[in-house]
Amino acid sequence: MGIFITLFLIILLFAVLGSGMWIGLSLLGVAILAMEIFTSRPVGDSMVLTIWGSTSSWTLTALPLFLWMGEILFRSKLSEDMFKGLAPWLNRLPGRLLHVNVIGCTIFAAVSGSSAATCATIGKITLPELKKRGYPDDIAIGTLAGAGTLGLLIPPSIIMIVYGVAANVSIAKLFIAGVIPGLMLAALFMGYIIVWALFNKDKVPAADEGMSFMKKLHESRHLIPVVSLIALVLGSIYSGLATATEAAALGVGGSLVLAKIEGSLNWEKFKDGIVAACRVYCMIGLILAGAAFLTLAMGFIGLPRQMAEFIGALNLSPFGLILLLTGFFIVLGCFLDGISMVVLTMTVLLPTVQAAGLDLIWFGIFIVLVVEMAQITPPVGFNLFVIQGLTKREITYIARTALPLFFLMLAAVLATYFFQDIVLWLPRQMT
Amino acid sequence: MQQYTHPFYRTLMFLACVSMAASFAVIMLGVVAREAHWDIQGLDAYAGYAVAAALFLALPETLRHGDHIRVTLILQRLSQRVKNGFEYGCLVVAVALSAYFAWFACRLVWVSYTTHDVSPSADATALWIPQLAMALGCIGLCVSFVEALVSRMHGVDFFPENSEQAHVE
Repeated sequence: MGIFITLFLIILLFAVLGSGMWIGLSLLGVAILAMEIFTSRPVGDSMVLTIWGSTSSWTLTALPLFLWMGEILFRSKLSEDMFKGLAPWLNRLPGRLLHVNVIGCTIFAAVSGSSAATCATIGKITLPELKKRGYPDDIAIGTLAGAGTLGLLIPPSIIMIVYGVAANVSIAKLFIAGVIPGLMLAALFMGYIIVWALFNKDKVPAADEGMSFMKKLHESRHLIPVVSLIALVLGSIYSGLATATEAAALGVGGSLVLAKIEGSLNWEKFKDGIVAACRVYCMIGLILAGAAFLTLAMGFIGLPRQMAEFIGALNLSPFGLILLLTGFFIVLGCFLDGISMVVLTMTVLLPTVQAAGLDLIWFGIFIVLVVEMAQITPPVGFNLFVIQGLTKREITYIARTALPLFFLMLAAVLATYFFQDIVLWLPRQMT
Repeated sequence: MQQYTHPFYRTLMFLACVSMAASFAVIMLGVVAREAHWDIQGLDAYAGYAVAAALFLALPETLRHGDHIRVTLILQRLSQRVKNGFEYGCLVVAVALSAYFAWFACRLVWVSYTTHDVSPSADATALWIPQLAMALGCIGLCVSFVEALVSRMHGVDFFPENSEQAHVE
């Protein structure tokens, strides 16, 4: 009987999602229906209480503030400055300025929690600059799409906050666990650019005019604002001065000051930024609200437990389970956004993951990595949408240019599984 | 209908922005207070209320901008007539769900008010006050879905064709 209820609910959920229902409301609707049919508890009252409890919690406050910070920086001149500061150093490296995409995204990821914001902020400056200098479109677009996803893995990270709240894992630890995998992935991307450049020497335009070392160093002054912002946000978390939420608030304050100093902050932009932040947070929040109640409803019905028993009975090795989940997430990632993927997994699969003896911090990074892959798989991938907005190219074309980076991410997933210390070594040093 | 509803959505959105700014201010106050060893009770809870208010009050305006995400993949491949049917279906269900949500959100405010429910943490706020924002936002969401349904019946599209892509995730 249990397994039929489970199957029925999962099919129902996907049918409702597929019908074009707003995702947050889909989760809410399925949860209401499931509780009405399978339990005798007062549905409406437990629904609002759960939603109120989860949306007014202290841990969640980090999320809107990091979103707001991203919106402020998106409207500032930060990315232009980064281009000026980074470009002189990269002329000698094979692939030259293409590396600005990767390094720029890596640095910006350390102040932004979102992959789409990273992609949009860096892309709006690098894509036109690279085109002007004659770099081929496909490699410029592909590396941007891939590197933009680092916004999720390198702290701060919206997805990690969502996961940490759902799985009850320390957000600060998740943040620090993402650092080494993030840098590793950035190194892989740069390696790919170097290899590509060695095979396609004729496609890489000539270097900009050489500069003396002192001149280069002088140009690097443009990097001071972003570096100080990183030091403020991440430094305050890791020194133990601030919680993730407080660091987010410091980040908002810091970005406002920074935008004011460089003169790009006026009332109009401030208003745009806060309205955009409210809208993005509202969109995510509706999904989180629906997911909170769905988790409760599923828990009452016992679905996650049954799922864990069912998968446990398959007798998969942990590696088999991870392969299965990776495949499942890649397919799911073609249709769903990352946050919905995380909350759905947590509502249904958390006991399964625990039963398999996987470390929850490690699993968090695993999820972030597969969500990153989902960002660049068509037809639904937010980075693809962002770059489509920037370049007016077809989604399928952008996805094709990003395909090599997709495989690099897959390699990174396997690497973190076989060498779990890539993820777990840094958080261990924290305690 | 529009001349009444749109100012209503925009007012709620304005209040949402104020709440967002308030959560920032409260958290910063908390940081300063801790460093200066002031003892202010319950700031964490206030930040939570402000963030919840920002979320719910922004609901209708976010919907109007078409920012609430949905899976349109299958819809796009259907014929115009079938797609139209699905769109109506989604809106009708959405009106029902948001009305259900709004009803129980209002009920929660009423129950908290009559039972004098206070927050369990240090702030001891009467809970109906922050919950009012949730109720208000849910009513707004329901109104906006009704407006979307009515607009569709009149052949007007409630959602903008190409709104600026939000920087999610």
